[in-house]
Amino acid sequence: MFGQQLISGLATGSLYALTAVAVVVVFRNTRTINLAQGDFSMIGAFIAVVLIKDLGANYYLALAGAVVGCIGLGILAERLVMRQIADSDWLTLFTATLGIYYILHGVAGYFWGRDTKAFPISFDPTPIEIVGGIISQGHVINMAWAAAIGLVLYVFFKYTKQGIAMRAVTDDPETAELMGIPVRFIVLLTWGMAGFLAAFAGVLIAPIIYVAPEMMDEVLIKGYVAAVFGGLYSIPGAILGALMIGVCENLAGGYLGSHYKTATAFTMIVLLLALRPQGLFGIQKRREV
Amino acid sequence: MKNAMMDKSTEFSSTALRTARKLRSARRIQAGRLKWAGMAGLFASAVVFPLAPGVEGWMASEATLIIMYIMAAQGVSILTGYTGLVTVGHGGFLAVGAYASALMTMHLGTDLLTGIIVGGFVAAVIGCALGLVFLRLSGAFMAIGTLGFAFFIGTVVNNVPIFEGREGISLPGNHVLGYEIGDIGFFYVSLATLAITTLFIYCLVRSAVGRAFMALRDSEKAAEASGVNRVFYRTLAFSMSAAVTGIAGVLFAHYVNYVSSEVFADIWYSVDFLVATVVGGSAVLLGPFVGGLFVAFLPTLIEFFVDQPGDLAFIIKGGALIFVLIMAPAGVVEGTVRFFRWITRIRKETAHG
Amino acid sequence: MASHLRCEDVTVSFGGVVACDKISLDVELGKIIGLIGPNGAGKTTLFNVLSRFQEYDDGHVYFRDQTIDAKKSHEMIDLGMARTFQNINLFSEQTTLQNILIGAHHLIGNPFANVFWLPNARRNEKVLVNQAIDIAEMLHLGDELDNLVKNLSYGFQKRVELARALAAKPEIILLDEPVAGCNDEETSELKEIIRRVNLELGITILLVEHDMSMVMSVCDYIHVINFGANLAAGTPAQIQSNQNVINAYLGEDDA
Repeated sequence: MFGQQLISGLATGSLYALTAVAVVVVFRNTRTINLAQGDFSMIGAFIAVVLIKDLGANYYLALAGAVVGCIGLGILAERLVMRQIADSDWLTLFTATLGIYYILHGVAGYFWGRDTKAFPISFDPTPIEIVGGIISQGHVINMAWAAAIGLVLYVFFKYTKQGIAMRAVTDDPETAELMGIPVRFIVLLTWGMAGFLAAFAGVLIAPIIYVAPEMMDEVLIKGYVAAVFGGLYSIPGAILGALMIGVCENLAGGYLGSHYKTATAFTMIVLLLALRPQGLFGIQKRREV
Repeated sequence: MKNAMMDKSTEFSSTALRTARKLRSARRIQAGRLKWAGMAGLFASAVVFPLAPGVEGWMASEATLIIMYIMAAQGVSILTGYTGLVTVGHGGFLAVGAYASALMTMHLGTDLLTGIIVGGFVAAVIGCALGLVFLRLSGAFMAIGTLGFAFFIGTVVNNVPIFEGREGISLPGNHVLGYEIGDIGFFYVSLATLAITTLFIYCLVRSAVGRAFMALRDSEKAAEASGVNRVFYRTLAFSMSAAVTGIAGVLFAHYVNYVSSEVFADIWYSVDFLVATVVGGSAVLLGPFVGGLFVAFLPTLIEFFVDQPGDLAFIIKGGALIFVLIMAPAGVVEGTVRFFRWITRIRKETAHG
Repeated sequence: MASHLRCEDVTVSFGGVVACDKISLDVELGKIIGLIGPNGAGKTTLFNVLSRFQEYDDGHVYFRDQTIDAKKSHEMIDLGMARTFQNINLFSEQTTLQNILIGAHHLIGNPFANVFWLPNARRNEKVLVNQAIDIAEMLHLGDELDNLVKNLSYGFQKRVELARALAAKPEIILLDEPVAGCNDEETSELKEIIRRVNLELGITILLVEHDMSMVMSVCDYIHVINFGANLAAGTPAQIQSNQNVINAYLGEDDA
């Protein structure tokens, strides 16, 4: 039983990680806490549903469509909204993403209705036996995707010109600009990346839960909690946090009861912030004056 | 040594400087009187509102709800606007106040006023504790931590038996000092409470304690260099902020005569209160009023014009929010003031041109 | 030669870097003392140690010969020590008057009496406001009292910083680069104010500065540090002719 919970916890955790990483990347490049991240995923899931149901696309085409749609959504959000208030304090930025959240919620409800739907494609439910327990095929596929994306991100940040430029903007936007790095383009790229990650988060999780405007609300919160584990700065920290949340909430659900699942994430975060305010991996700033 | 300042002060004041000082005070007093008049006018119109012709019962009810949102936003403004600590968890204090009063009323048969005092007090204590727990947090981390607090309270209220979770607790009719009060009476009690909280914030902002809060907001290091004890004032800000929103919670519980986790564990209240503060103006006395109106009244307004509110309401809410943030990032009140100043300037320029 | 503020063998290191290496420094009562040294010498760190904004690994700090190692930054005002900041650290969303008043925070009495506007608290407020206005007028800030400090010019902001420190009615003020970024006119104005504060109000001053002519003309005594350690100490004349000091600064030019 324990092994079972552990494995499925890791599986769901790896999906939370997609949201968590997007949150971290947007925050450290633009000081914005993006509340709309979950809804980007939600729209992606709906796009996939429409492509499958109304246009008869297969799973991979639907996924690709969702990716394109979400990247566009991220870019749209940056261009239309975030760019107009780029120099504001972070509370204004945060509230603006809340506005985007409301709009996307309304749009989704308007076009597709507020009732919960099942994702039209489900995975082969026959479980695969692995060490420690059984795991469903869907979980395996999800973890594989998450790992692949993790690898892509790793390569991106370490080896590509844009990735390195992005790291420069994270560390010191003013110097980066002085050195000729197109900061505004990097910001655009950041939001595009958020959309990219959102698409996968939404489409991969939709078969596991359901499709509805509020489907990503809980995932978003857990993504944030995971991001805080990484000090809102470290991607590996956020991934680790997400996996931990997935595992812990599964264990709590298994041993204490399912209505304790969400509470686990919050207890973890309140404890963490009380004891280690900068997150597990946050940058430790020595008190300077 | 410390008296050297006092002895020398007379040297630096000449008659001209004293006159200039009097002029400045006069101008300040005048501006202050205008604000008093405005606020008094606002409350006066609220007092006669239910008695005016054409006003129906449900309107007074709606107005009571707006009053509660304003008060909750006032609580948020103390912590976020004046002390600079963003909270997305004040719904938790709403719940604390509501349940404290509800339990008192149910088990001890106390009246509304006692409920208000007890609810405010318990919320203040919990706020103080939270302030200490989150002592080293700021910015985004504080926001997430307070959100965690709201969820935590929601979970407690849902699962601890005494709170009756989703079943909830039904409350008897409201009474104050022995007299039964109906909807209209409740409106006036709420209005009076709002007047008190508004007066409190007015005094707070002009006091040295308010200055200490704002100093911590603007520059923690400089505040400490000036002798402001961060631990004390932060915790105090949390307590006061929690108390005001807690009192709003008490009113809310007795307004619907029912508390249940379905209502009070909903974290969207926390978000709404923050939005109200940001939209209205987080460090302006009138801010929570405008913001509370925006958040509480907008859904009703949309329902008026559109048959199927629901989704369209969300879109309009989001759009309006973004619009306000782009046009008036410091809040509607400050934006309006700036707008009028701009208009006056344009008029002066065209007059001379 | 009474000591107002003194540190002995203070050592501070960050990770592997030693910022202060057994530095000792004495600020004599009633004088204007300067602390200078090339860039990166450790002046700011030492300054923060003395004002208790920085923890140190070894050594002691004394205020009027009493050790203050355990004191926290917000407790220094009660002792009688005020400080300014190198990068202006004003409360930008508040007015000049409010900024100066916060400087006098430790004189407000009971905070609860204050927030509920009890009569003696209100009387106290009036006194503090009048004192703040006096300080503002002394520093030629009288016209800017009701303006938000973020709208003031740099020179004015520097003076508000000083006014805020004065509002605390301190015995000693630590000035962190008081004329940094100021033009000649602003510099000589601030110099005059510093002199007056010291002579007429009897306040001891410790200042960190890069502007050599300003330091030499206003200080009674100067400490020089380099590479985190004491280099020299003496009157301005002595320092100006000290070969080690000259080498330290010339060496900086070479690099």
